[in-house]
Amino acid sequence: MSVRWIVRTFSELCLTVGSLIVLFVVYVLFWTGVRADSAMDGELGKLAERWATGPVAAASPAPGGPSQDGTTSPGAGDPQDDGPPPQPAYRDGEPFAVMYIPRFGGDWAKPVLEGTATGTLQKGLGHYDGTARLGATGNFAVAGHRRTYGDPFKDFPRLRPGDAVVISDGTTWFTYRIDKRPYRTSPGDIGVIDPVPRASGYDGPGRYLTLTTCEPEWGHSHRLIAWAHLDATEPVAGGRPSALRS
Amino acid sequence: MYGWIWRHLPGNAWVKALISLVLALAIVFLLFQYVFPWAEPLLPFNDVTVDQGMRAVR
Repeated sequence: MSVRWIVRTFSELCLTVGSLIVLFVVYVLFWTGVRADSAMDGELGKLAERWATGPVAAASPAPGGPSQDGTTSPGAGDPQDDGPPPQPAYRDGEPFAVMYIPRFGGDWAKPVLEGTATGTLQKGLGHYDGTARLGATGNFAVAGHRRTYGDPFKDFPRLRPGDAVVISDGTTWFTYRIDKRPYRTSPGDIGVIDPVPRASGYDGPGRYLTLTTCEPEWGHSHRLIAWAHLDATEPVAGGRPSALRS
Repeated sequence: MYGWIWRHLPGNAWVKALISLVLALAIVFLLFQYVFPWAEPLLPFNDVTVDQGMRAVR
């Protein structure tokens, strides 16, 4: 076992480890994005197909529904309907809505899936199970990757008060408006997805939206949170909502 | 290590080169398909939710 053999084996080992690391970086930075993009396209396609076939079951609140209790409480920006009548529960891991955030780009559209499991978040944004339904009273909370897997929330810190977050469930456009600059918190702060999050400044029940992602960009020591309230709802049949027309 | 593999591949230099290439591609495929997807969640980029702690309990 000569010195030459030892040196050679050691260099080969270094080369191998180096190549592995480079490959892994390529995988994380590039390949997860490629995969996520195709997975998200798949989920969007699934939604488009579902919405095209069945005229989305039971969605639109009955015309004579609870939409006319006159003035709604000020401040909360309440829309009309009080949660459409019984709708099928969101199925874990399945897409049920599409989110648009004009601040992130005109063509930014991501599927929203039920649940925040690792595998689910690799295919789109994840709706925290147990939080409110889309457009309902309470807090509709959604998590998304800031980096890797398509970087859906890459520009999260650029969100500003007044920015629109538009979500479609196939029958209705829900336009939420961001109320605060992104808020930084600790990973265990589950109060941020409460029906009325303490730190948000909201002082009563309402129809809220919470977005969460990681902070710092490549780390996991904190989370970034953005809160929005429901500003308007429009039927999908009426075309794209004003927030998406630029 | 690589020298040992090279010596144990059959055929002439061209055949050996071809087999090496196929082997390398197969290894890259295995890494991308199985090893990296397993290793990636161990990195912090996946922690985008605020209830990771609770999730572990469930």
